[in-house]
Amino acid sequence: MGKGNRVWKITGAASAAATLMLICGFVYAVSDVIFPAPPNTSSAGIENAASKDQQIHPGNMDVTAVGDSLAKGTGDDTGSGFARATSELLQEQGINSKLVNNLGINGLTTSGLLPMLDEDGVQYALRQAGVIILSIGANDLFAGADQMTELPDEEQLSVKLKQAEERFAKIVEAIRGINSEAQLVYVMLYNPFSDLEEVREQGNRIVQEWNRFAATVMDSTGQGLAISTSDLFTFNSGRYLAEDHFHPNREGYQAIAERIVQALAVTTVSGEERK
Amino acid sequence: MRALNNQIIGLVRNETEKMIRKKRFYVVLLVLLVLVPVFSYAQMKQAESKREKYGTDWRREVQQAITDNQNSLGSDRVPEEWKKYRQVYIQQMKYYLEHDVNPAAPGGVTFTREFLDNAATLFIPLLIMGLGSDIVSAERTTGTIKMLLTRPVRRWKILLSKLITLLMFVSLTVLAVFVICYLISGMFFGYKGFQLPVFTGFRLDGASVDLSSVHAVPQWTYLFMQAGLIWYVGVVVAILALMVSVLVRSTAASIIIMMSSLIAGNILTNMASAWTSAKYLFMVNLGLTDYLAGTPVPIEGMSLGFSLLVLGIWAACSLVVSFLVFTKQDILN
Repeated sequence: MGKGNRVWKITGAASAAATLMLICGFVYAVSDVIFPAPPNTSSAGIENAASKDQQIHPGNMDVTAVGDSLAKGTGDDTGSGFARATSELLQEQGINSKLVNNLGINGLTTSGLLPMLDEDGVQYALRQAGVIILSIGANDLFAGADQMTELPDEEQLSVKLKQAEERFAKIVEAIRGINSEAQLVYVMLYNPFSDLEEVREQGNRIVQEWNRFAATVMDSTGQGLAISTSDLFTFNSGRYLAEDHFHPNREGYQAIAERIVQALAVTTVSGEERK
Repeated sequence: MRALNNQIIGLVRNETEKMIRKKRFYVVLLVLLVLVPVFSYAQMKQAESKREKYGTDWRREVQQAITDNQNSLGSDRVPEEWKKYRQVYIQQMKYYLEHDVNPAAPGGVTFTREFLDNAATLFIPLLIMGLGSDIVSAERTTGTIKMLLTRPVRRWKILLSKLITLLMFVSLTVLAVFVICYLISGMFFGYKGFQLPVFTGFRLDGASVDLSSVHAVPQWTYLFMQAGLIWYVGVVVAILALMVSVLVRSTAASIIIMMSSLIAGNILTNMASAWTSAKYLFMVNLGLTDYLAGTPVPIEGMSLGFSLLVLGIWAACSLVVSFLVFTKQDILN
């Protein structure tokens, strides 16, 4: 009955118990993967559910951006885009604001965005915001435009335009349904081809038609803003466009963000309008 | 029969005492005691920087992760293989958001779960290899093999006792990893989280996820299952290490052989999807916990049953080889 005996007994007993437990775990795991238990997810979220619908305080100026590569900020070397720039400009003015989420996805079209608005995470991010910045439509109208070799067919284009407009109206309605309190800002299209002689005119026409429609839709929803951008790029495409001649650069996004901030209704913490 | 049992138990006891005297298991514990705080600290720093951006709002963080991954799907520079991983990840994260469950609620238990998912294919097999690689060859290096084999005990019993001892320490190692990981990370993140739900049962078909059999399990059940699967991997690695130790005369060589094949497995799983017969290699099949988490398999056609079978066959073959060689081989010096 020396020390060796005790060590052996402890080791032996501990390893036997551990082995038994681990074998049970192994059998349980294998049977759970191969014959999964019936779904019981309904009870899973209960402990978190209460916090989901937290109250949004009035005067909330937190920003969520949703839409295409412009919302994402493609072309901006700092990665901010106008979403973060807007939030930062608001902060500079002493307004409490943060970027909730930037949900911009490169190449997103209206038909891609519409189902996205049904997702819980997207809805959550939109509900948290006091300012929702929407940028969509360019990829519907100029799909594959960066490698465009010939002019799109006039008739095809007008069909495309009609369908995209219908979806756009639905998108605005859906966002309003998710968050009716926030200020909804739509960043209108600009003609990325203003520096290309052959397509400039046609591009201008489509963009104008689209913007007119978008502005009408935004007008008809309360607290909707349509921010014009096309004038920025008409003569300054060299200054505001990134190397890809399609997306804005840092300066371009900053210019758009400044316009957004100028247009936003800014309320102080007490809820009074700022003079 | 009774006498036989007693003889084996005596041998196992002898081997256990040798194992403890060699302090190899203490080294394993020491490695854990040093490394787990390092990982915990790194994880805590990462969590802090995330908290600066997202506060305690995990939903925004998860949604941003989804959007970022969606963006990378459009890029032609991202390899197709990675896109599959990301597509699966996106669908799983959406599922967590839909059910309002935080996929990584901070806490010691969550840390343990994530750490073990990462440790299952390399870290733990390396620890076990460290225990097993010299179990026979060390006797040769020191010359004690002659003393061992001149005793009036059948050779297969000696090897069996070594195997049993090794398996005992496999169980202790796996358990120790879990316990140490939980105790230390708990100091950083708190000891809560056993009841938090985790989803398992994601079935993958290429890049699409079948959600029909997804179900929530409390995190402790998940850990329990993880431990079992990691234990199976550990047993197979231990048996392979035993074989190498029998076949190779030098301890250094047997450690190098085991280590390089384990690391090769890790590299192969990251790049061998085009070479489909690689799925019959044992080292590609060590990621059993991936089947729980629903991570895409490294090579098309792998499943839990397949991996268990491949590992089992490798283990069975090495056992046969080990015992045949050990009972037949001449001991020369």
